[in-house]
Amino acid sequence: MGGDSKFLGIAYVSPYIIGLCLFTAFPFLASLYLSFTDYDLLSTPEWVGLDNYERLFTRDRTFSKSLNVTLLYVFMTVPLKLAFALLVAVVLNYKLKAIGFFRTAYYVPSVLGGSIAIAVLWRYIFAEAGLVNMGLTAIGMEPVNWFGDPQNALFTLTLLRCWQFGSAMVIFLAALQSVDKSLYEASSIDGAGKWQQFRYITVPLITPVIFFNLIMQTVQAFQEFNGPYIITNGGPLKSTYLLPLYIYDKAFKSFDMGYASAIAWVLFVIIMVLTLIAFWSSKKWVYYAGDKRS
Amino acid sequence: MTYFKTILGAALATTTLAGTAKAEDLRMSWWGGDSRHEATQAALEVCGEALGHTIKPEFTGWSGHFEKVATQLAGGTEADIMQINWPWLPIFSENGDGFADLRQFADTIDLSQWSDEELEASTRNGALNGLPASVSGRIFFFNKTTFDKAGLPLPTTFDELMAAGPVFAEKLGDNYYPLEGIGLDASLLIQMIVTQQTGKSFINPETNAVQWSAAELQAGIDMYQAMVDNHVIKGWQDRAAQGNIALHENADWTSGQIAGSYQWDTTFFKISDPLAEGQELVPAGLLRVEGAQNDGVYRKPSMVFSISANSPNQQAAAEVLNCLLTQPDGIAAMGSARGVPSSDVAAAQLLENGGIEQIQVDAQDMVMQAVAPAISPYNEDPDVRAGIEDTLELFAYGELDSADASEEILMLVSEALEDK
Repeated sequence: MGGDSKFLGIAYVSPYIIGLCLFTAFPFLASLYLSFTDYDLLSTPEWVGLDNYERLFTRDRTFSKSLNVTLLYVFMTVPLKLAFALLVAVVLNYKLKAIGFFRTAYYVPSVLGGSIAIAVLWRYIFAEAGLVNMGLTAIGMEPVNWFGDPQNALFTLTLLRCWQFGSAMVIFLAALQSVDKSLYEASSIDGAGKWQQFRYITVPLITPVIFFNLIMQTVQAFQEFNGPYIITNGGPLKSTYLLPLYIYDKAFKSFDMGYASAIAWVLFVIIMVLTLIAFWSSKKWVYYAGDKRS
Repeated sequence: MTYFKTILGAALATTTLAGTAKAEDLRMSWWGGDSRHEATQAALEVCGEALGHTIKPEFTGWSGHFEKVATQLAGGTEADIMQINWPWLPIFSENGDGFADLRQFADTIDLSQWSDEELEASTRNGALNGLPASVSGRIFFFNKTTFDKAGLPLPTTFDELMAAGPVFAEKLGDNYYPLEGIGLDASLLIQMIVTQQTGKSFINPETNAVQWSAAELQAGIDMYQAMVDNHVIKGWQDRAAQGNIALHENADWTSGQIAGSYQWDTTFFKISDPLAEGQELVPAGLLRVEGAQNDGVYRKPSMVFSISANSPNQQAAAEVLNCLLTQPDGIAAMGSARGVPSSDVAAAQLLENGGIEQIQVDAQDMVMQAVAPAISPYNEDPDVRAGIEDTLELFAYGELDSADASEEILMLVSEALEDK
């Protein structure tokens, strides 16, 4: 490659590199620095060493509560959403009439899913006199206090997250379509039923995609903000007070940006550790093409 | 020498005139509802045209505006002119240098239109950080239509309000309540009761110290609970079943099922406009508890107009402010979108021309005539608010009794005030 071509390549990627440095790398490192400071946004950050972390782990009851709520939310949401997305993908993998329409229709919630408007809609659907309670009353059941009862509020937000299954579903669908049909034919000849085919052929062959979706959905669930902010504002009794909401409140309401940065870094470490565990465990259950394992 | 002085004088005069006439590009930010957005944009157009400046409007709803301004101030990207909530002044301008000192522009802005007390309330460390648009206070508003349906006159005392709860349940049904109150509304309602009972405001505005004992606060919390028990106020848990929704968007409010609110007088149209056709909302002033030492009014400059300390166009911004608040065309265009104006000339002009609805004037009179000690801007500090409201929620859900809740609130608020 000549010198000119080298420069041309650098020129092509430079917008991305500049954007990455300015809008990702710099804020990332700045927040690490700020986590060791007392910074109220309006004056110069003051170095306080590990004080923010010490406060976080020893004196902040809200942090412990918020962390527990966040972990519960992630561990409820991710498996539910993945299972639902896979189920819908399997159904949409059949050659049905108007399958194109159904695939589009099932993807629509994901296009709209993260928006404020859908969070507002969710608030109306699960409100005291909302659609869900109207339905329950119509079939003779007692209405449920979805948002006002701390036992139910987080579950309601989990359902919103699961409802946005479209992107995971599309990826699953692509994976299902790439499974070699001859494997199903061969297993049929050997007497395998649909469930056995799914369990012993489909699932193992799409494990790389399950793994990919697992990582992506876990990271996204840890970063959930819109739902609790709009629908419950973290209540009642902080039962939906996810860590991103706490970070936001600390940074922009209490003007404690140094402390908020420390919480953000703890969140980052948690996500990183869980991701590493997932990668480590993947050696035992994810199968790639050309894998020598039997 | 005389010749030199004449030349110098002419040069200075020319510079001054040129400075006044120079067209600048400005930005102005505020929060509010549609009517305020429309009126303010119209006023900016009028004043911009008159002064030769271009003013870009930046407006949002109330929710999130504090965070937006905080982020902008932190990044130095704030608008030249900002509508600031009065309790935010000590947050954004602890030493008085967070905003421009408007006394520096006394030649441009007619400060004589505000009383010394009004200007003093917006002064931090000797610097006039903002001009009050209006004074606002919490009073009771009742839905007369619902009270008529229940066969009750509008309450004039707390005892009458307390007696209305069971009547509502009996005559209208369990879903009807004479008043709403959770979150900030509950907190301010309790503060009103205790201020009436003790004659003292919650936080001393001079010393920033809490003035109530735990027993005094507990009496207020117990009275709030009595209102919940008496079917006067919908319980916190049941109200939360609606989700995080503002009063004026709540179907129970718009249908008249919740028939009262303890609200800012300046929000009258915001909460009355969404009511279903035929519903009539009436300002009812402040109800007094038995043995009240004062009216317990929670009154403050409702919003102030400030000029950015970093703006390169402070002079032009001052000209615009003067036009909006003291000049006939600006006043006419702004109208009563921020309540009855604090600027004397604006109030007089709007009253004379019918630019203010009589009901707004009545509500404002109730606020202004009520008697109570001055409040501290720290009452609405985010950490102070969180300390009170989070604890009240724990109390409402039965996690704390009123004695423990009072102790907890005093401890958390004192802790929050320590850093101020």
